[in-house]
Amino acid sequence: MTAMASGRRTINRRTWAFSLVAYAIAMIFVLPYAEMIITALRPPKELLDAGYLPKHYDFSNFTSIWKTGFGSNLGASLKIAGGATLLVLIVALPAAYYTARKRFRGRTLFLLLVLATQMFQPAAMLVGIQREFIDFNLSSPIFSLILVNAGFNLAFAVWILNAYFSSIPAELEEAAMVDGTSRVGALIRITLPLATPGIVTALIFTFISAWNEFIVSLTLTLGQPAGKQPLTVGINSYIGQYSIDWGHLFAGAAIATIPVIVLFAMIEGRVVSGLTAGSIK
Amino acid sequence: MKRSIITAIAGAAAVALALSSCSSSGGDKGNNGGKSGGAVTLKLVAADYGTGPANASQKYWQGIADDFHKQNPTITVKVTTINWNDFDTQVQTLIQNHQYPDITEGDYFSNYAQEGLLYSASDVLSNPGNLLPVFAKQGSYNGTQYGMPFTTSSRTLFYNKKLFSAAGITSAPQTWADVQTDAAAIKAKGDIGFGLPLGSEEAQAEALLWFLGNGGNYQDASGKWAIDSAQNVETMTFLKGLVSAGDTEPNPGTKNRTDLWKQFAAGKIGMINGSPALIPIIQAGGALTDSDWTSVPIAGKTGPLSSTLGVCDNVAAFKANKHQAEIKKFLDFAYQDKYQIQFDKEYDLLPATTSASNALASDPIFGPFLKALPQAVQYPSDTSWATVKTQIQHTLGTAVTGDPKSVLSALQSTAKKGS
Amino acid sequence: MALTALTAQRLVRRTGHAFAPLLWIGPAVALIGVVVLWPVVVMFHASVQHISPDGFVLGSAGGKNYSNLWHEPALSGVIWRTVIWVVAVVFVTILLSLALAQLFNQRFPGRRVARWALIAPWAASVMMTALIFRWALDANNGVINIFLHDLGIVHKLGSSQADWLGRPTVALVWMMIVAVFVSLPFTTYALLAGLQTIPEEVYEAARMDGANRWRMYFSVTLPLLRPAVLVATLINVINVFNSFPIIWEMTRGGPGYDTANTTVFMFIIKQPYPGEGAAMSVINFGLVIVVVVLFLRLTRWKEQVD
Repeated sequence: MTAMASGRRTINRRTWAFSLVAYAIAMIFVLPYAEMIITALRPPKELLDAGYLPKHYDFSNFTSIWKTGFGSNLGASLKIAGGATLLVLIVALPAAYYTARKRFRGRTLFLLLVLATQMFQPAAMLVGIQREFIDFNLSSPIFSLILVNAGFNLAFAVWILNAYFSSIPAELEEAAMVDGTSRVGALIRITLPLATPGIVTALIFTFISAWNEFIVSLTLTLGQPAGKQPLTVGINSYIGQYSIDWGHLFAGAAIATIPVIVLFAMIEGRVVSGLTAGSIK
Repeated sequence: MKRSIITAIAGAAAVALALSSCSSSGGDKGNNGGKSGGAVTLKLVAADYGTGPANASQKYWQGIADDFHKQNPTITVKVTTINWNDFDTQVQTLIQNHQYPDITEGDYFSNYAQEGLLYSASDVLSNPGNLLPVFAKQGSYNGTQYGMPFTTSSRTLFYNKKLFSAAGITSAPQTWADVQTDAAAIKAKGDIGFGLPLGSEEAQAEALLWFLGNGGNYQDASGKWAIDSAQNVETMTFLKGLVSAGDTEPNPGTKNRTDLWKQFAAGKIGMINGSPALIPIIQAGGALTDSDWTSVPIAGKTGPLSSTLGVCDNVAAFKANKHQAEIKKFLDFAYQDKYQIQFDKEYDLLPATTSASNALASDPIFGPFLKALPQAVQYPSDTSWATVKTQIQHTLGTAVTGDPKSVLSALQSTAKKGS
Repeated sequence: MALTALTAQRLVRRTGHAFAPLLWIGPAVALIGVVVLWPVVVMFHASVQHISPDGFVLGSAGGKNYSNLWHEPALSGVIWRTVIWVVAVVFVTILLSLALAQLFNQRFPGRRVARWALIAPWAASVMMTALIFRWALDANNGVINIFLHDLGIVHKLGSSQADWLGRPTVALVWMMIVAVFVSLPFTTYALLAGLQTIPEEVYEAARMDGANRWRMYFSVTLPLLRPAVLVATLINVINVFNSFPIIWEMTRGGPGYDTANTTVFMFIIKQPYPGEGAAMSVINFGLVIVVVVLFLRLTRWKEQVD
């Protein structure tokens, strides 16, 4: 009796110890972003005061930032991330579906290609990307960025979708096709609804990756007016102006992070399973 | 519910894509020739001389652009301003990416002219002779003028009289030895002795002021590169001594003029090299009254400098978009005396046209500076200056913590290497 | 007649079948080809051309870009720094992530909320996190300096000691800390996923054999986590090697090039010397491939997969 009781108490103490440590660590992870918001809320006069918290809180940075062209940056980021996500959806879905279903000639080659390109990073090939898009001479760097972001996120999307489609039994589609639906029809009506979690995860990963992309955006849009610069480059330009406009910089950073948090919240449960399906296999 | 999320995202992305194609099919195509008779948009990229949102250069140029548009409804001028820290990099990136502007105001580099990217001054100004002749050579390539001076300034030494008297210093510094002793005395009282901005914003200007003090320069009298001359090495060694004694702010290689000027205005720095543009910053800082500071000629090794650094910012006009006629109309409009004088009064800088200079000659503040301009020393006009300047900005700061001779030699080989 | 019609039909169907894959995977291959693969070719080509700072090709340069690059005084420092950067950051990240994954795999109240907090650095872009740390390390009023000052570690605000980012060596240490910070979320989640594939029975069996917690970890958990650790390490090595925003935002690679890694160095010199920048890119690219191949070879990846 006593042995069992003390056993349960030990387990409880351990559990509480875990909680405490985990919460302390969680606090450390959130602390920098809390500092970002606190700084954004500092009145300009108190910006350079040496103290943990300002004496007054001031929302003016969040309202005055829209006059600095921030709205145009936001629009540019939406176009780029949205366009890249759409392009990935259109291109990755059929490729992943076909690869999951059919053992066609060149399938291994295709999968190897996809795997290899997951290792290619835009930063490593920056000069090539820059010169290539100079030659393409597209009318706006926004198109270039849509293509670049879509291209570099395609591999991950195909990988995840391939895994999801493979896990859906082909018999379901066969059954529908026996009833007279075409393969494409079966895809749309049967498979897609079942693969929705994987699709959403892949799309959101792509959106977030494009939203936060920095080095290629910096290279292709430096010097352009705000309407052609995504948020990462726009926020970067607060540096050096009047010796670093920290208030607006962090207000902008906070605003820019909101869509990402929302999207991440939608897929939080799937992050682990998405990773299991994607990278570990 | 999940299905509708996909539809929502897809829908939003489709809308965004449609919107983006709509907005960029307007007149913004980089290499389109100017539509004859139709609406033309000129892209102006200018440097930001302001110290805060209140006097940002965007306002000045937008005012001119709006006035111009009223007179010429078919021409719209789109204004982008870039801070000095990034101006060169951003304009060079635009050019590398073939996203040519029509007009730039800030730095001009003769290698743009060398590659045939620019209209000459006489192509885009009705009266190029009105530009101050003393700066014509700096903006010329192969005998033709491409860089058109827009504003000029000269440098002097500013010092904080309050800190001086608190440290027991009674006279203004005239030699390097004075600077050293005065800075040490101020440092002993807990403030920064000499503010030395060798960071990437304007290292090339600060360094040149010190080189001049020892009879050195970037090029020698015959126009050959002499960055690692014996005098220059001696100069950097002196500065290195100053830094290691703690007489300057910590780690000057990473500090820029904008930050140090603000600190001077807050009363924390004893001496700093500045231009008239520092005056409004001091006034905005609120810590120093007019009698707490003053400016004197820059201290040289054996005595004050007789010829200061005359910096001239240039306008350049790019051929790529084929908007010559429209550019000419705009530049003739923007160079009017009233706009030149407005700019100079706003930013405490000097004019670049003879007519505006004459108008300001009797002004008590501007007059003396204007008189000194014709003797001013300028930056090299070599086609490799753009590359050399970037390297100086990037690496000169390491000369005061590392080995001055090797840093200057590296810069010399960059200059000789060309592009 | 009927025979030819039948042959024709069969031909159409067979060619139709041959072309079918192209329809489904063609766009993907095209996109990858154009955006991911072709730039590599362009990059190699540019590295042997003489290109002016304004982007005009002035002819072939042969191997001159590579030899100029080789003679850049900053190059050896940059490469050494990159090696140290990658090894230190990845090592510390994997170590900490193993611990964190283990912790977050336990059941305790509020585990979900704590896991959520871990996502914060992932959601905010690396660039923003780097800027926050730069602000917090400001010599005069950064909160980290204020905190260290309160602890007595920093003696005077505004001094050279408090100017962490102005001194190359300690700046590098701080940037490595930031790099670990932003790599922890992904790595922890990846290892967490790996941990969750380990069935409970394995632990039961080990417990019945009398293994204590430490032995269980080293003899049971770690070996089963090996695939996950390998994948996480590989991905981290590639990411950290190509790391740009942290160094760019915190010190711009300065003073001089004293805190630059190969990616930052490439970014800076591609401005005045595009050909040399391309050469540096080629070398970077080659280094990544070599590291990846070595890694796969060393860990006998093929055996793992098969």
